[in-house]
Amino acid sequence: MRTGDYKQTYGELVALVDSPPVWLWSVVLVLALIGAPYALNAYALSFVTIILITVVGALGLNILTGYTGLISLGHVGFLVTGAYAYAILVSKYQMHPLVGFLGAGVVPALASLIVGAPSLRLKGLYLAITTLAFSFIINTVILEARTLTNGARGIAVQRPELFGISFDSDVAFTWLCLGFAIATLFATLNIRRSRVGRAFVAIRDNDTAARVMGINLHAYKLLAFVTSAFITGISGALYGIYLSFVSVEGFPFLLSIEALAILIVGGLGSALGAVLGTVLIVLLPEATRLVFSLFSAQMDALFSTGAQELKSMLYGLAIILFLRFQPRGLVGVWHDLRRTWVHWPLRY
Amino acid sequence: MNKYLASASLLFASVLLSDGPTLAQQGITDTEIVIGDVEPLTGPPALLGVAASIGHKIAIAEANNAGGINGRKIKYVLEDDGYVTARTIQGVKKVIEVDKAFAMLGISGSGQSIAVMPVLEKAGIPTVIDVAPVKFLWEPPRKNVFVVGQSYEEGIIHLVKYLADKNPNKKWGLITQDDDYGITVRDGFDSVVKEKKLKVVYSGNYKKGQQDFSSDMLQLKDSGAEVFLAGGIIAENIAMMKELEKLNVKPVTGIFWPGRVEPVLKLMGPAGDGIYAVDYVEPFAGEAGKAFLEKAKPLVSEAEFKGINRYTMSGYAAAKVLISAIERCGKQPTWACTISELEKTKNVETGVMAPISFGPGVRFSNQKLQIIRADFSTLSFKPVN
Repeated sequence: MRTGDYKQTYGELVALVDSPPVWLWSVVLVLALIGAPYALNAYALSFVTIILITVVGALGLNILTGYTGLISLGHVGFLVTGAYAYAILVSKYQMHPLVGFLGAGVVPALASLIVGAPSLRLKGLYLAITTLAFSFIINTVILEARTLTNGARGIAVQRPELFGISFDSDVAFTWLCLGFAIATLFATLNIRRSRVGRAFVAIRDNDTAARVMGINLHAYKLLAFVTSAFITGISGALYGIYLSFVSVEGFPFLLSIEALAILIVGGLGSALGAVLGTVLIVLLPEATRLVFSLFSAQMDALFSTGAQELKSMLYGLAIILFLRFQPRGLVGVWHDLRRTWVHWPLRY
Repeated sequence: MNKYLASASLLFASVLLSDGPTLAQQGITDTEIVIGDVEPLTGPPALLGVAASIGHKIAIAEANNAGGINGRKIKYVLEDDGYVTARTIQGVKKVIEVDKAFAMLGISGSGQSIAVMPVLEKAGIPTVIDVAPVKFLWEPPRKNVFVVGQSYEEGIIHLVKYLADKNPNKKWGLITQDDDYGITVRDGFDSVVKEKKLKVVYSGNYKKGQQDFSSDMLQLKDSGAEVFLAGGIIAENIAMMKELEKLNVKPVTGIFWPGRVEPVLKLMGPAGDGIYAVDYVEPFAGEAGKAFLEKAKPLVSEAEFKGINRYTMSGYAAAKVLISAIERCGKQPTWACTISELEKTKNVETGVMAPISFGPGVRFSNQKLQIIRADFSTLSFKPVN
C-alpha cells in the first residue's frame, strides 16, 4: 500500500512535477484553454484573458514577495512602466512588437534597480513603504515626461502582429496571453528549483543564516527585484494591449493590493498558489453574482450597479477568511486534499 | 448517422455564433428592446455616473409610458465600472454579449470611453455617448458611435473669452489637474491667452486627488490675480473656494461643467456665490430646467430625484436621440437602420439643450454653449444675458 509521497533523489526533489499524471493534466488544461475561446462568448473570454494577464503579473510578484520575502506595495509601478515601454516603442516609434515586449521587461527591470537598492538595507514595512513611494514617483515621471509619454493624454496601443500572425481578435489575443502565462509559469518554476531560487527562499526564511551560508544578499535581493519587475513589466504590456489605451489612470494603486491579495489567498511562495489565487480573485465577484442571481433578480441588479463596492468587500472578506482559517492559502487546501486522497482511509 | 452529424454541426455553429453578435437584431423580442449602459456608480465619480444613468432612466420611462418603441418596452441594463478602465471594457462586453443589448448609452469617463472604442467598433452596436465628450471619440468618426455634447476645449475657450471680454486688462490666475482633463483645460486657456493677450500672473498644477489647496491659493492671492480659472472638478473646486474665502479674496472665478453641479454650490457656501460656469445643458433655475424637473419627478424614485444634476440632462438628451432613431426604424429595427437614422438626426428637440443634429460623417452634435452664474441664495446656476 502506498504510504506517502517520498522523494529519494535530488533529481526528484527539484523535478518540475512529481508524477507523469500531472504532465497529462497540465496538457489537458492547456488544450482546454486553447479551445476555450471557441466555446465562450466575448464577456466570458475577457475573464480568461484577464486571468492569464494577471497570472503573469502575480507570478512576477511571487518571485519577490513569495520566494524572497520582500514585500512590495508598488508593483503597479512596474506594471505601468512595462505598459508605457511597450506603447512608446511600438505605437510611437513603430518598432516590432517583440522589441516592445523586450522593452516592457527591460525598462521596469532597470527601474527596479532604483527601488531594489534601498531593499539592501530595508525590510518588512519599511521596504513596503519604499516600493509604495516608487509607484507614485513613477506616475509623476510619466505625467511629466510628456514628449515621450504624451503625459496624461496616454498612448493608444494596437493589438500586435507576431511572426505573421495577427493577434487582433479576442481569441488570438487570449492565445498570446496564454503563451506568455505558460512561459512565465515555466520560468518561475525553473527559477524556484535552481540555485538562484533556493537562495531567494533562504533569504526569505532567514537572511542572516543565508548570508552565513555564503549567499550574497545584495546580489540576490537585486536579482529578485530585477526578475520580478521584468515579468511584471511584460504583464503590464499585455494589460496595456488589452486596454488598447495606456494611461496612468488605467493602472490604479488598487492593482498592487489585488496582487498581494492574490498571493495571500493563493498561498505565498507557490507558483501554483499564484495561479489559483488569480483564478479565485478574478472570478470571485462574478461567481458570487451568478450564485445570488439564481435566488433573486434584485440581487443580480445589486451586483451590477454596486459591483465595485461589493467586489472590494468580497476581496477583503476572502483575505480575512484565508488568513484566519487557511493561512497556507488555496495551495494549502490543495495539498490537504491530495494528502487525504493518497492516505485515505488513514489520516496520515 | 447523418442526423447526428447535422445536430453536431448545428451545435458547433451555435457555439461559434455565441462568440459575437452576428445578428443585428439582438436585444429585441416581440415585447422588449434592451438598451445597455456602463457608468461609474460607485466611488467619487459616481456623482456623474449615477446622474447620467438617471437621465437615461427618465427618457426610457417617458418612452415606456407612451407605449414603448413601436409597442416594445425598453429594458435598461446598467453596469458599474467603478471608473476602472479594465472593468469598463468587461462591462461593455457583458452588456453586448450576455445581456444582448440592442444599443448602448453612456459610457463612463473620457479615458474609459476611449478604451472601449475598439470593442464598440468591432461589435458595431449603435452607441450614443453623453458623459465625457472628448475629440478622440468622434475624430475620426466611427460608423456606429455618436457623441452628444461639446468638446472640453471649446467649452473652456468660450468661458475664458467671455471672462476676458467682461474683465479687460485684468490679471489672470489658473490652476489645473495633472491629467488629461487638466491638459485640455490648459490648452484651451492658452489658446485664448495668445489671442486676447491675457496677463497671466499665476499658473498652477495640482496632483489628482489633492485635497489641501492652502498653499496654492496663497500663491494665487500673492500673485494679485483678479480673474481665476479653477480647473478642479468637484472636491478640488470646493476646497479652492473655501481657501479663497479664508484668505478674504474674491477674484472673478470661472469653473468648467464637470464640476457645475448644484451640490457643489451648497458645499462651497457663500464663497461660491457669483462664480461663472460654461455649459451646453440648461440650468435648472431656468424655464427649461424647471420643466425638466417637473417631468422627471413622477418618473424616478425620490432618491434618484435627489441625484439629478447636469449629467442627468445630457443623459436624457442622448437617450431621447437614440430612442427616436430606433423608433423611426419601424417595427423591425436593425443596427444598420438605427445607425442610419442616428446619422439623419436633424434638430431633435430635447428641451434640455439646443437641438441635436448629426449628419453623414458627422458623429458629434457640437452643442451650443452658454455662460451661467451661481446664485448661492437659491443654490442654482442662472443664465447670464
